[in-house]
Amino acid sequence: MSEHRSKAAELYRTHGPAVYRRCLRILRDPEAARDATQEVFVKLIRDMSKLEDRETVLPWIYRVATNHCLNHRRNASRRGEDAAAAPLELADSVPPDTFPDRQLAQLILSRFDAATQTVAVGVLVDGMEQEEVAEVLGLSRRTVARKLARFLEQARHQVDRSWS
Amino acid sequence: MTARCPSDLALERHLLSPERSTLTAHLAACPACAARLQTMQRQGEEFLRYVYPATVEAVEAAAASGPSGAVRWLRWLALVPALGAAAALALFLAFPSAPPDDYLGIKGGGALGLTVFVQEGANARPVRDGETVPAGAALRFRVRTARACRLWVLSVDGRGQVSRLYPTQGEGGAVLERTADLPGGALLDGLAGPERVVALCAPEALPWAGAEAAVRAAFPAPGPEPVRRGAVVAGLPAGAAQDAVLLEKRP
Repeated sequence: MSEHRSKAAELYRTHGPAVYRRCLRILRDPEAARDATQEVFVKLIRDMSKLEDRETVLPWIYRVATNHCLNHRRNASRRGEDAAAAPLELADSVPPDTFPDRQLAQLILSRFDAATQTVAVGVLVDGMEQEEVAEVLGLSRRTVARKLARFLEQARHQVDRSWS
Repeated sequence: MTARCPSDLALERHLLSPERSTLTAHLAACPACAARLQTMQRQGEEFLRYVYPATVEAVEAAAASGPSGAVRWLRWLALVPALGAAAALALFLAFPSAPPDDYLGIKGGGALGLTVFVQEGANARPVRDGETVPAGAALRFRVRTARACRLWVLSVDGRGQVSRLYPTQGEGGAVLERTADLPGGALLDGLAGPERVVALCAPEALPWAGAEAAVRAAFPAPGPEPVRRGAVVAGLPAGAAQDAVLLEKRP
C-alpha cells in the first residue's frame, strides 16, 4: 500500500506540472487551478498504468484536464461566479482577423457544447493544428474541422450582431 | 521565424522528454516560444513549491483507495472558508459544549484526549470508542491537552492505509495550547471496516514523516483485527502524548 502511495506521489511530481499549467491556462486563477489540479489528478491516478506510459500520457492528461476545467468554467458561469469571467487568452498563432473582438469570442465560446468548446480551445487558445486536436480528442480530422467551422461561423455572426 | 510555433501540448512533450524533442532548433530561433517555455517552466516550479505539498496527500489517498473506492478525506482547512458564514456559525453552535458524562472517547485522565464527533443533520454527536458509524460519515474532532504541544491527527484502517487528517498542510504539527475544536472536518471513505483515529502531541515540532512512520510501525500488518485491538504508538519524542478512538464503519 505504501509503495502504491509513493508511486502515486512520484507520478504526481512528474505530471502534476502539466496538469497545473493546463488548468492555469483555462481557469486563469492560481487558486482555482490548484484545486482543479488535485481533482484532475485524483481522476487520472485511478489508471496508474496509463500515467506511466510516457508515449501516450500527455494527450490523455490534456484531454481530461481540458474537459474538467471547461466544465468548471461552465458551472462557475451558471452560478455567476467571477472566475468564469476571466477571459481565455487566444494563441499567438491565431490570425488577428479571426476575431475582430477577441473578448467577445471568448464569451461566445461558453455558449457551445463541451466537444465544440474543447475543439475551439485546442485550436484557438492552444494553437494546435486540427490534426493534433483530432488525435488528442479521438475524433476524425473532419469532425474537428466541422465543429471549428460551426463555432467560427456562429462567433462571427454574434460579433456582427453586437456591432450592428 | 516563419515555421508555425508549437502548441502547448507540443511544448509539454518537449518539457517531459527534452532529449527526444524536435523543437530545440525552433526554440533557439523563436524568442516568443522561448519565452512561453520559460513561463511554463516557472509555472512548473510554482506547482512543485506550492501546489504539490498541499495536494499530494489527497492524490496518494485516491491511489491507495483503488479505482472504485474513492477516498473522500477532505482538506479540512480548505473546507472552512468554503462554508458560508451562517453555515459555519450553525455548525459551531451545533457542536456540543462538552461530551456527556458517559462519554468514552476520552479515555482516562491522560495528557491528551481525543473526542470524535459524527455529524448527524445539524448536530455533531460524540462517538464512543468502538462505536459503529455510517461508512461515509462526516466527522469532527476535539482534542484536550494538559500542556502546549504540537499535534497530529491521523487514522489507520484495516487495509493498512494511514491518512493524514490534521493539520493537512505544513510540517511539525499544529500548535495546540488547550482544549480545541479542530477546524474543518473529514468524510470517511465509505468502505466498511474499522478505522482508528489517532492523535499524537509532542512537546516540540514533530515532522509529519516521523508521525506517519510511528503509526505505520504500530500497525505493521494490514487487517481489521490489529486496528480493532489498537496499539501504543512507540518511537515518539520524550513527553509525547497520544490517544485514539476506534470507529466501526458500516455501509
